Amino acid sequence: MLTTVVGSYPKIPNRPRPARLRAAIARFERGEIGEDELRRVEDEVTIEVIQEQVEAGIDIVSDGQIRWEDDQTYFARRMDGFTIDGLIRYFDTNTYYRQPVVTGAVQWREPIAGEDYRFAAAHSPRPVKALVTGPYTLAALSANEHYGSYGELVLALARELRQEVLALEKAGAPIIQVSEPAILKRKEDFPLFRQALEQMMEGVAVEAHLYTWFGDAEGLFPQILELPFSTIGLDFVMGPANYEIIGRAPFAKKLGLGIVDARNTRLETVEQIVDRIRRVSHAVPLEALYVNPSCGLEYVPREVAEAKLKRMAEGVRRAQEVLG
Amino acid sequence: MSKGLLTTTVGSFPKPDYLTRARSQFSLGKIGGEELAALERQATAEVIRLQEEVGLDILVHGEMERGDMVAYFAEQLSESMAIGGLVRSYGNRYYRKPIITGKLHWQGPMTVEMWRYAQSLTDKPVKGMLTGPYTMVDWSFDDYYDSRRDAVLDMARVIHQEAVELEKAGARYIQVDEPAIHARPEQDFDLAVEAMALVVEGIDCEFHTHICYGEVALIYPDMLRLPVKQIHLAFKNTDFEYLKLLEKHPFDREKDLGVGVLDVHNHVAESVEEVKEGIRSTLELMPPERVWIEPDCGLKTRTWEEAAAKLRVMVQAVREVRRELGIEG
Repeated sequence: MLTTVVGSYPKIPNRPRPARLRAAIARFERGEIGEDELRRVEDEVTIEVIQEQVEAGIDIVSDGQIRWEDDQTYFARRMDGFTIDGLIRYFDTNTYYRQPVVTGAVQWREPIAGEDYRFAAAHSPRPVKALVTGPYTLAALSANEHYGSYGELVLALARELRQEVLALEKAGAPIIQVSEPAILKRKEDFPLFRQALEQMMEGVAVEAHLYTWFGDAEGLFPQILELPFSTIGLDFVMGPANYEIIGRAPFAKKLGLGIVDARNTRLETVEQIVDRIRRVSHAVPLEALYVNPSCGLEYVPREVAEAKLKRMAEGVRRAQEVLG
Repeated sequence: MSKGLLTTTVGSFPKPDYLTRARSQFSLGKIGGEELAALERQATAEVIRLQEEVGLDILVHGEMERGDMVAYFAEQLSESMAIGGLVRSYGNRYYRKPIITGKLHWQGPMTVEMWRYAQSLTDKPVKGMLTGPYTMVDWSFDDYYDSRRDAVLDMARVIHQEAVELEKAGARYIQVDEPAIHARPEQDFDLAVEAMALVVEGIDCEFHTHICYGEVALIYPDMLRLPVKQIHLAFKNTDFEYLKLLEKHPFDREKDLGVGVLDVHNHVAESVEEVKEGIRSTLELMPPERVWIEPDCGLKTRTWEEAAAKLRVMVQAVREVRRELGIEG
């Protein structure tokens, strides 16, 4: 049983700790500091949030997506074929992102997250998971003004993002997480989803995880187990039906077990965490579990994220004793 | 002559510079609460004066005492809510998200004093302004309740009590804002309707609601089930696309439609002709006596001058259309 995160980590702490990244971005926007200075602050904050995850007891960390405005524009801004439009709500959260608009043929130009991965790995005592927003979700959260159909756009993105996965593999990432929350909102698209992910992962040898959040896998199970990933990440907080769903067929993969609510401040108890692990142990052996928050942690204040990760690691240790 | 095309605004007005400065000095402990309150009253009087001078029909107090529409109430519900740490909303913008920490209950009037003060300055009706229960809960963390439903219904009882106090104080119009109402319509729209019914129950005021940008199409015509007299939507921001929804499914005959004709995110004032065009296309589907003309949203993001210029255009356009159609304000 290993602990991990699903991606984002709050970018700024609360008083009395200084909100350095917020201040640096504001100064950069006012032209008071240059890009180099902003990058330096991003580097420092990335190191800081890796340390926080490690100290909390996380086995596989992320770089906290400190440099990402959101999952969509981080890729859309660095590929050909996109422009960036106005603010739009991210699913049912009160968090907004600028919507990418596909205005031409989408094309991967050069590694997008490769340097970020190398930097994080060089500053982490634990393995760092690299993150790629999946083609289905990137298409679903963008506006399509170029391709004749949504399916064409999804498949074009799968082809181009495959280059990014290969680049991350080459950069040495031990695990690549492909994030696909949007498939939970349009499950009837599973055939397209499967085709896109099979294309994207063709010839990829590195350990790859497929993560979803904000819902359950009803209607996708057990087909989702046939996809070319070693681990399937599910949200058991917003998708409590997952407890029952995963028992319907032999779970022949590892499970990313999202059991700590990354959207609410209420701190889980150690007992609750142990109990939630126990509830899946009939379907998935403990050694096939990655225990993680239900989604990225940016929806809660920094101190809450830290406390939740600590509690999660504590719960996993206890579960190991009780159930192991 | 028939009446129609009443004008009002959605609620917030820009804060004058002296008030913005005073609010930050107050948060740093450099000035006291009384000093800040005096400046809030001064600014409120200016907001009332501006609306009278422009010639609006139903006034608002301008929300000079409020920062965030949820935190303002959360701060006063101190026995069951707290203000949490910073959470990013987009880009480099952060806000302090409130936390529900106990069973929600009304502790005392939250909006009445400022409403009463604003109403004392004018003969025109001033709207009471409340944040709706669904939005209050959706934009807060919840450390207490086990279900959103329980939290929303208790919050509805709190907001209801506040509406009762406004009615007692003499308010004839109360607006209950629900910008989060379309966050998860399939799952929760019935709950939002039930909550609104609790808010308005037994109160003899005219209730309005403002539903902000977002997936309006997902909750139309369902939104017509909200037990309010008037529903306001941001028409201008979508170039009056919502009219297509009304074409497909007529608006409720018992309800009024609030039509946003000013884009509050654009610095430039609309032209009179462009506003008139929006009004005329609305009147192809709705009789004027059931149409209210308003900006798309609160005006707090504009400068004072921009807000004034936009409102003057709006009122001018309404006057011209009224004249053309032979209707009274």
